[in-house]
Amino acid sequence: MSSLQVRHLSVRAGAKRLVDDVSLEVEAGTWCTIIGPNGAGKTSLVEVIAGLRQPAAGEVLIDGEPIGKMSERERARTVALVPQHPIVPGGMSVFDYIALGRTAYHGLFRAESAQDRRIVEAVLERLTLGEFRDRDVATLSGGERQRMVLARALAQSTTVIVLDEPITGLDLRHQMDLLELLKKEVVECGLTLVATLHDLTLAGQFADRLVLLDGGRVVLDGPAGEVVRSEVLGATYGMNLRVVDVDGADVVVPVRR
Amino acid sequence: MTTNPPTARRVAVVVALLVVALAAAVVGGLVIGPTPISTWRVVGDLFSHLGLGHSTLTSLQSTIVWQLRAPRMVLGLLAGSMLAVAGGTYQGVFRNPLADPYLLGVAAGAGLGATFAIVQVGGGLSTPTWTPLLAFVGAIGAVTVTWLVGGRGHYSNAATLILAGVAVSALLTSVQTYLQQSSLGSMTRVYIWLLGSLASASWSSVELVAPYVVVCILVSVAAGRALDVMSVGEDESRSLGLPVRRVRLIVIVASSLGTAAIVSVAGLIGFVGIIVPHIVRLLVGTSYRRILPISVLFGAAFMVFADTIARTVLAPSELPLGVVTALVGAPVFVVILSLRRRASL
Repeated sequence: MSSLQVRHLSVRAGAKRLVDDVSLEVEAGTWCTIIGPNGAGKTSLVEVIAGLRQPAAGEVLIDGEPIGKMSERERARTVALVPQHPIVPGGMSVFDYIALGRTAYHGLFRAESAQDRRIVEAVLERLTLGEFRDRDVATLSGGERQRMVLARALAQSTTVIVLDEPITGLDLRHQMDLLELLKKEVVECGLTLVATLHDLTLAGQFADRLVLLDGGRVVLDGPAGEVVRSEVLGATYGMNLRVVDVDGADVVVPVRR
Repeated sequence: MTTNPPTARRVAVVVALLVVALAAAVVGGLVIGPTPISTWRVVGDLFSHLGLGHSTLTSLQSTIVWQLRAPRMVLGLLAGSMLAVAGGTYQGVFRNPLADPYLLGVAAGAGLGATFAIVQVGGGLSTPTWTPLLAFVGAIGAVTVTWLVGGRGHYSNAATLILAGVAVSALLTSVQTYLQQSSLGSMTRVYIWLLGSLASASWSSVELVAPYVVVCILVSVAAGRALDVMSVGEDESRSLGLPVRRVRLIVIVASSLGTAAIVSVAGLIGFVGIIVPHIVRLLVGTSYRRILPISVLFGAAFMVFADTIARTVLAPSELPLGVVTALVGAPVFVVILSLRRRASL
């Protein structure tokens, strides 16, 4: 179980503030989704949380440990990233790709141990990727590929996983499947999850908590049901948004003015 | 590509064939030459050194084989494996199929050093001491400058380093060309050096470079795992816990040191460093854990084979080794490339 704290975080690109004094706290074993219009600073925030980017100010702590002070290896054992556009190295087998998740657990010049292989096998099994084990990663479909990238992140055996737009480019069915899979990891394994999503309906249905960013600042932060019903949400997107109850689920629909 | 990654069996077949080719190249390197010496006598002599049977070589033949051909053959093995493995690691660490061991300025620096030695430091025969020394210093100096310009700091990445290498190479090559032009008398010797040759090989030159080269080859091969991780790019590698900058530095130091050592005694042998790893990749797939060790074998066999052609076809004069490596290597590469393409359609 792990908790994530973001304290007064700012990210700059030149003079522009991409993330401006953002503070968040995510409880262990919960799902927090970051929403907001394009250019709100979602990806920058996620990249700092995953340790890929240095903040201009502020810090990110996991279980009280600032990740900025960790070595690359320590950090990769603490937080895993599913990037928005993962690079798919054609010619590599699915097994070897998922085994990349074990990089931080063996020496730079050492091969993976028997335990590493067992963990990879277990993840293959859990995400029903067994049949693709020896397939070339370049031959997978979009949905299979995204599941494989998630498998690599799970193989890192971290307590926090950060996902940047994990369902972009997937059809509806595969979007739901992937999100259900993630929900299962959160509920059953106590994973702490931070994701960015564009689809407000799916964001509202799966996350415990939504954080709305605009212009690099936190505009709203609260339980999913409250955030999707807030008038601020529509105002932030500059749209007329309605929330419709369909079989007990909140569906966010844009309405023409 | 619809094929799956090559199987272990296929890799085993490739390795077995390469071991046979390497053995053939080694024996060929000792046996073939202007003075005909029977293969069996040389093989018999080899065994006699291992305490098996008696040698039937005359003392002149023994001198030709062990003092002329053997050091040259061994230097060829070292040069071929070093250049091939360095090219492979560079292609991996820069994720650039056009990368070769000369990418960061080793060739331009060595070329300038050697040209300076040939043109400035006395004429003709006094240069053998200075040429390798200045070539080595030039090579290491050039890569160091490239690193200082493009490899330091938090924002350095593969692209800035490659561009720094291009700039340093261009600058040093222009100075080298000027030096070369300004001394027409030694132009031919400079030219011959630039095209590469193992003709000056001796046991002392082998002893000089072997320690560096062997260590650098071992380090480069060991980096295969890290290079496999880097096939997902620098950002993702870092998020997986790979110390990307350290890996890049290790690979660059190993490649530069080994390549500089080879270049200082053998000149600028082209083509091997860029093409051997590609041929190996087409044969055994994209994992650097396979590509690098197999490139060592392939590079070694290929270089000795090419050198045997270089020194015999026009005997007693020699073809430049760089000409032979390209002349033999390019068609081999084209054939394998087209076969692979047909197989994967």
